[in-house]
Amino acid sequence: MKKRIYRSMLLLIILSILSTAFLITGFIYGEFYARMKQEVRNEAHFVSVGFNLNGEKIFSELADQNFSSRITWIASDGTVLFDSSADPGSMENHLDRPEISDALNNGSGEAVHLSRTFGTQTFYHAIRLQDGTVVRVSARVNSVFKSVLNFIPYITVISVLVIILTMIIANLLTKKIIVPLNNLNLEDPLSNDVYDELSPLLSRMAKQNEQIELQFQKLREKQEEFNAITENVDEGIIILNSKGQILSINRKAAFIFGTELKDNINKHILQLNRSIPLQNAVEAAMKGETYEDTFVKGDNTFNILASPVKGQKPAEGIILFILDITERQTAEKLRREFSANVSHELKTPLTSISGYAELMMNGLVKHEDISVFSERIYNETRHLIRLVDDIIQISKLDEKNINFEFEKVDLFEVVKETAEKLTLQALQKGIDFSVKGQKAVISGVRQILQEIVFNLCDNAIKYNYEKGIVEVIVRKSDENVILTVKDNGPGIPKEHQSRIFERFYRVDKSHSRDTGGTGLGLSIVKHGVEFHKGKINLSSEPGKGTTVEVVFKDIQTTDKLDT
Amino acid sequence: MRIRFDEQLEYLKTQMIQMGALIEGAIAKAVKALISGDRELARMAVAADEEIDQKEREIESLCLKLLLQQQPVARDLRQISSALKMITDMERIGDQAADISEITLLGNIKPEQNTSHISDMAIATIKMVSDSIDAYVRQDLELAKAVIEYDDIVDELFNDVKHDMIKLIHEDPDNGESAIDLMMIAKYFERIGDHATNIAEWVEFSITGKHRDGANR
Repeated sequence: MKKRIYRSMLLLIILSILSTAFLITGFIYGEFYARMKQEVRNEAHFVSVGFNLNGEKIFSELADQNFSSRITWIASDGTVLFDSSADPGSMENHLDRPEISDALNNGSGEAVHLSRTFGTQTFYHAIRLQDGTVVRVSARVNSVFKSVLNFIPYITVISVLVIILTMIIANLLTKKIIVPLNNLNLEDPLSNDVYDELSPLLSRMAKQNEQIELQFQKLREKQEEFNAITENVDEGIIILNSKGQILSINRKAAFIFGTELKDNINKHILQLNRSIPLQNAVEAAMKGETYEDTFVKGDNTFNILASPVKGQKPAEGIILFILDITERQTAEKLRREFSANVSHELKTPLTSISGYAELMMNGLVKHEDISVFSERIYNETRHLIRLVDDIIQISKLDEKNINFEFEKVDLFEVVKETAEKLTLQALQKGIDFSVKGQKAVISGVRQILQEIVFNLCDNAIKYNYEKGIVEVIVRKSDENVILTVKDNGPGIPKEHQSRIFERFYRVDKSHSRDTGGTGLGLSIVKHGVEFHKGKINLSSEPGKGTTVEVVFKDIQTTDKLDT
Repeated sequence: MRIRFDEQLEYLKTQMIQMGALIEGAIAKAVKALISGDRELARMAVAADEEIDQKEREIESLCLKLLLQQQPVARDLRQISSALKMITDMERIGDQAADISEITLLGNIKPEQNTSHISDMAIATIKMVSDSIDAYVRQDLELAKAVIEYDDIVDELFNDVKHDMIKLIHEDPDNGESAIDLMMIAKYFERIGDHATNIAEWVEFSITGKHRDGANR
């Protein structure tokens, strides 16, 4: 741009100098030409007047006075009679000269003669005298070309000066135009202090900058939203392009495949994992189909779900969802085991009942034994009812969405009420059953708390020695309410301690039916405590006794947590 | 032009990984069939060999096409030429997995005759094959070297199996047939280990430009 400005300015300057020079030269030449003609005419008139007055001696007098113009006197036949600067004898006949012939014929004639070298120009004016001769005055001056040639050095000097000046001015001007443009702060266009012509552009720019920033912000938010979702979900999400290269992978997916998050972008999915189900999934999704399969990696089982993006053929991209279904599978296994256990537990008493009833029906039982048999049937039925009750209870606790009303419950009161129901049982076994503690209000479900306390105390009494000790304590500590059930029974062997809260798990499988337990008691306790967000601590030493500690949050803490 | 070439190299790599996955699957099936006596799995392992051969031919023609059309140099040339060598070893592994399953299908081997050394060998060779392919995928020089070192363990296990088989025949000459079958299987495992070592050596070559055998001689 700078160069172009220079160039056009130079061209303009040179053109103007040249045209000015030519115009002036032309104009001055025109003036000069007319003036020269006039001058020569005047002089010729003067000379002719002089000749008419004084005769021919005027020529010699004029020649003596260094008369600048040349005077020639020519006879009517064309012979030169006198010449002020040459010998008339050597001069040729002038009759054919246009000015002479004009003068002879018309009284006066004039001509301008350009010398052959163009160096000079001669102006002629001839007048016919009274005696018929002709006087001619001629003045020789430099030709216009010569004059112009003489000008050229001056013009050159002036041109160079003007050009230098122009360069300087052009430089200054371009600087003034270009430097602000170069130094524009495009980040914040409005902060620039430049000439007015730029301000519409700048304000437009500022507006666009703002729009771009806004759109970027939106995009960023979208991206962050997307990231926030994908990073926090518990499923692995991988997005592939149509070639199977990874475009995006979330933390969980990277964790599942045991790689670093950042290393994987643009890698082919097979470099992450080459298991056949994954390959099949990607292949199917590329064909535009959704695909589901499971694959095993390490100890875990994963469900893989591949779906093509946009559902076109071939797919523009693929989304892979990877779900860890290990837990679900374990849960399913547990459920299957539970139903198997339940059926078994239900079947055993029913078989006995049906057996006894059959015997009685067929009259195989002596009359006096009927009461014994009826009692057995009654006992088995009681056991069945208890079992069904427990199963209902535990199913309710399993279904966490069943609404139990939370209320303020004094745990100590619950313990006292429950203990009363068990006093008889304790007495029969000669057990020293005592309840200690203080009022301790917690937020809970009375029915479930009763179950917890009942099952713990029932176990402590049932599995104790004759004349043992069972102690139930309710106390407050810091922000917690702690329920302790302590006995000095046979204790629980170490290897069983981790499993006793499982459903239908029995430490002593052979004698379990004698004690009348269902095998669900501690499982109910565990679920009940979990329902109250409490904790169970079990410490037991074989031969010395067992202590179960249940820790609940007290009412103030619960309130605080809720609000 | 270069972008297209890079894409083709990437494609070659995924093809190699797919072939790797195929042979891994074939060995896993062969081993499972051997240990559990599942004939269906054994048949699948034999069938997989055909697919592996097909893949070998595909990769072979891809490599030759790349060599002809792109005339690669330096690292690219090493990558392609080592792929060309690796698929031969991979194909052999597939063959041997099929061979093992064919012996399993003969039905001479009783599950109780499977010594722990055989299953150790199976696990060790699976590990070697997996690691050698992983080394290729990740271009992991250390892992490739580890695979080459690991071959000694497989060789030792082979000797252990040999002693077990001698004992087996010694106890009851009637065991001879199954002992020889097991011996063959052990030999196949040992060969698979060797092929995995070869793969690892080619991985090493494609990374460093130096091949072990060439360097030692």
